[in-house]
Amino acid sequence: MNKKLLAAVVLMVEDSATDAELCIRTLKKQGLANNIVWVKDGAEALEYLFRTDSDDQARELPKLVLLDLHLPKVSGLEVLHKIKTNDRTKLVPVVILTSSKEDRDIIEGYNLGVNSYLSKPVAFEDFITTVTQMGLYWLVVNHSPLHEAGTPDDTQHAT
Amino acid sequence: VPETLIKEADPLLSSGAHSRAILNILADLTDDQAWMHDTHKAVVNVLSDFSEEKDRLQLTQRAVLNFLQDVEDERAQRERAEAEVRQINANLEERVTQRTLQLESANKELEGFSYSVAHDLRTPLRAIQGFSRILKEDHAESLDDEALPLLGIIVDATNKMSQLIDDMLAFSRIGRLGITLRQINMRELVDGVVAELTREATATTLELGSLANAFGDTGTIRQVWVNLLGNAVKYSSKNDNPVVQIDSNIEQNEIIYRIKDNGVGFDMQYAHKLFGVFQRLHGADEFSGTGIGLAIVKRIVERHRGRVWAESVVGKGSTFYFTLPSGTSQ
Repeated sequence: MNKKLLAAVVLMVEDSATDAELCIRTLKKQGLANNIVWVKDGAEALEYLFRTDSDDQARELPKLVLLDLHLPKVSGLEVLHKIKTNDRTKLVPVVILTSSKEDRDIIEGYNLGVNSYLSKPVAFEDFITTVTQMGLYWLVVNHSPLHEAGTPDDTQHAT
Repeated sequence: VPETLIKEADPLLSSGAHSRAILNILADLTDDQAWMHDTHKAVVNVLSDFSEEKDRLQLTQRAVLNFLQDVEDERAQRERAEAEVRQINANLEERVTQRTLQLESANKELEGFSYSVAHDLRTPLRAIQGFSRILKEDHAESLDDEALPLLGIIVDATNKMSQLIDDMLAFSRIGRLGITLRQINMRELVDGVVAELTREATATTLELGSLANAFGDTGTIRQVWVNLLGNAVKYSSKNDNPVVQIDSNIEQNEIIYRIKDNGVGFDMQYAHKLFGVFQRLHGADEFSGTGIGLAIVKRIVERHRGRVWAESVVGKGSTFYFTLPSGTSQ
């Protein structure tokens, strides 16, 4: 994979350390993302997305947000709502990656403007397939309005 | 008095020519007096009659008043009774409302429970399975021949557990789903299910008899057929010539659907366990499954106010029955 792709930040909001590790491992193994910022709850996610740096410059936005729904402090749906109602962040693709297959979560997610909804399979092969396909699509195939021409992707660093 | 009058008038009478006339007047007076007397008597009688009448009237009036009092008493009593009934109704309504609220909150709790089951139980399962697989893939050389198959057992167990969780959620979802009753073309519906089944179980002969239409929720009733026919195919799969017969019978106010197979059957002494959640009458090594299918069938059929039961002889096959109310009143 090219340097630019690997440098793009993927923000992963996930309270389960094991799920996070399985997901990071898969994305790295498939060469889809190297620069994954992992935060453990909704408050940390908002802090990452909306905090301004010391020189009052807004932080570079991630290329993709992977969002679990059941999170401590601030729920995934609240994070989604904040992202999609803020002019600066609303164009960032958000993929819900959660254990829930409940209709109400899917409907609520799409109501709030999520870009994709995936449930994490328990079976390992299925999990790897899901995460790989998701990564391929959103980080390689898909054109995102951010990080296209003119955006200096490869200058950023992970926190 | 007339005697003295006559005596005093006597000289006049004997001396004058008017005596005759005076006598007549006197006689008239006498008559008048008698008449007065009679009249007086009559008046006294009438008064006495009046008095009696008045007494009777008074009695009647008292009776009427008593009657009115009785009516009033009765009315008051009825009002009290009505108020009591209203009170009882209000209490009943309040109790129903309270009970409904309790049930709703219990339902909510259960829903929350199954929801957290869906999320919180799957995450550790994924970890157990995922890291077992990573161990196998990345560290196979440091594990000996005995250790590697053990990892396979761990992975199988997590898959089974994951299936159980999915089944449990499917079962609880049936209870929460709203059902919409409409006319079901049963033959068409069963044809569709049969077509799907025979794609996989080509050895089984499925014989469809007449199938009466019913009112029900198409989606969930389809699930009933999928589960019952799936079972029939599964448990007759060890027969050399598996046959499943399907038909229906219209009884007084219900339709009885029948699914008969020539499979392994079951011991009738365990019939009561058949429709319980995760109850199985065969080992997982004999026939696959978690034991949720018939529990789901029972739940759906009972939500349609129908019944479900089964008859069987070990080794000869089983017959499953379920009913749906007939007519449009449902």
